[in-house]
Amino acid sequence: MNSAPTEPLRLTLPLSVETARSLKVGDMVLLDGEVTVTAGFATHERMIAALAKGEPLPIDLRGEAFFHMGSNCREENGKWLPNYVNPTTSTRFNAFMPTLVRELGLTSVGGKGGMGAECVAALKEMGCVYFSMPGGASPLLSNGAEERLETGWDDLIEQFRLSRYRLNGFGPVTVAIDAHGNSLYEDLQQAAVSRLPDILKELEATRLASGTNSTR
Amino acid sequence: MAITYDVIRQAACDLYGWSLKKVPDDTLDALAAARLTETNPTSQRTLDFMQAAARAAESEDRHACSDAGFPTYFVKIGTKLTLDGDIRRAFVDGFAELVDTIQPPILKFITHPLTMERSYKGKDMPIVSFDVIDGADYMEITCSPKALGSGRWADLKIFSYPKIAEIEAYFMECVLAAGSQHCPPVIIGMGIGGSFDHAAKMAKQATLRKIGSKHADPMIAEMEERLLVAVNKTGFGPMGTGGDTTALAVHVDYAHGHGFVPVAVCFNCWINRRTAVRIDNDGKVTRLE
Repeated sequence: MNSAPTEPLRLTLPLSVETARSLKVGDMVLLDGEVTVTAGFATHERMIAALAKGEPLPIDLRGEAFFHMGSNCREENGKWLPNYVNPTTSTRFNAFMPTLVRELGLTSVGGKGGMGAECVAALKEMGCVYFSMPGGASPLLSNGAEERLETGWDDLIEQFRLSRYRLNGFGPVTVAIDAHGNSLYEDLQQAAVSRLPDILKELEATRLASGTNSTR
Repeated sequence: MAITYDVIRQAACDLYGWSLKKVPDDTLDALAAARLTETNPTSQRTLDFMQAAARAAESEDRHACSDAGFPTYFVKIGTKLTLDGDIRRAFVDGFAELVDTIQPPILKFITHPLTMERSYKGKDMPIVSFDVIDGADYMEITCSPKALGSGRWADLKIFSYPKIAEIEAYFMECVLAAGSQHCPPVIIGMGIGGSFDHAAKMAKQATLRKIGSKHADPMIAEMEERLLVAVNKTGFGPMGTGGDTTALAVHVDYAHGHGFVPVAVCFNCWINRRTAVRIDNDGKVTRLE
């Protein structure tokens, strides 16, 4: 499915729409620049409510990068340095993301596990890509997050706040949904569904070969 | 001689803390083995990244994942040992102590299921299951944190006189429903039979078995083997971005029941957080993993 990757690309966030459209699924990328993150369902609800009322978000996200990620920081010499960052499951936010991508003109989003078909359509329409990050690999991923620059909605718990980070060589992350309607997740799900009849036949054959009676 | 509240509180605290900063050795070995057989270049890189991150978690005393979830404990109490103090409270207090002392701190994950309010404690938290070991004068405690990432994909279905083919088809249905999203390569547990609650518990406990271990019953061991092959033909791959390694292990257990057969399937993400201690009757604590 993927051509052999050489070294990952290196890109600075926020991406221009042109850069976003130049990426294709399977590309691996190291990220610099700035990104705003949250792991909060409640945060997404607030964002949608604010946009509906025409109110500004506490951090201006127009044309920016927005990732589904939890994080924790410590203060050192007046700077907020990350203890750890890590992606969270993006499909949880399927209901919100098409609106956020369209209304904010996001050019990159990210998290883990992918997003639904309506999100894929919004990404294609606007020129935005979805980056998959490895979950559970926090020590290495966190090394690429240099500093938390600001937070918004501080009444929420830490991982739910909108938090803006400066990145330096963050990743590599994988382009898992591109800006042309291609989604690794949809492709893989379809491939798995189409393989399933053969997989079940092979299970049956293996059962018979091992003498396990499946019919009783 | 007795196992005291203090000893168990400290063990509960340590077990959860250790589990957050170490990927078990059997899991690291399985990731290394998967890297050797993985043919997809992106997945090879992802497996390299996972292994390096896991080593860094342990050597640099860092959290493997930002999501600490909540701790679950499985306690097996030898029938010949003596307990001194409030044992259930020792787990609650041990969890609280970990929250107060771990560095860097963990975030608030304990969530009220109806209001979604978040805290560091809550009703029935941590989850503790008790069992006994007949004739033993020691206690074993296993800790396995659980979080949304892989926790939400568990499933249970009640069958009536199922064929094995139906059970295995349901298992694959669960695998496809989770798809790319449970932080693969996963460890999959399946519990077959018994009662509704027992099937779920067997599935969960099956995920705690060492990778590479085989079920004692050859019929079940063969099922584990063929289901692992089947899962890895789906192609979801490491982190669900495609590849040969969607699961590191499939562990199955069964219990006799009646004509109705509950089948439970659950998943542990690739970091497979799990720690265990044995506590002797004199209070001596030995870390098992």
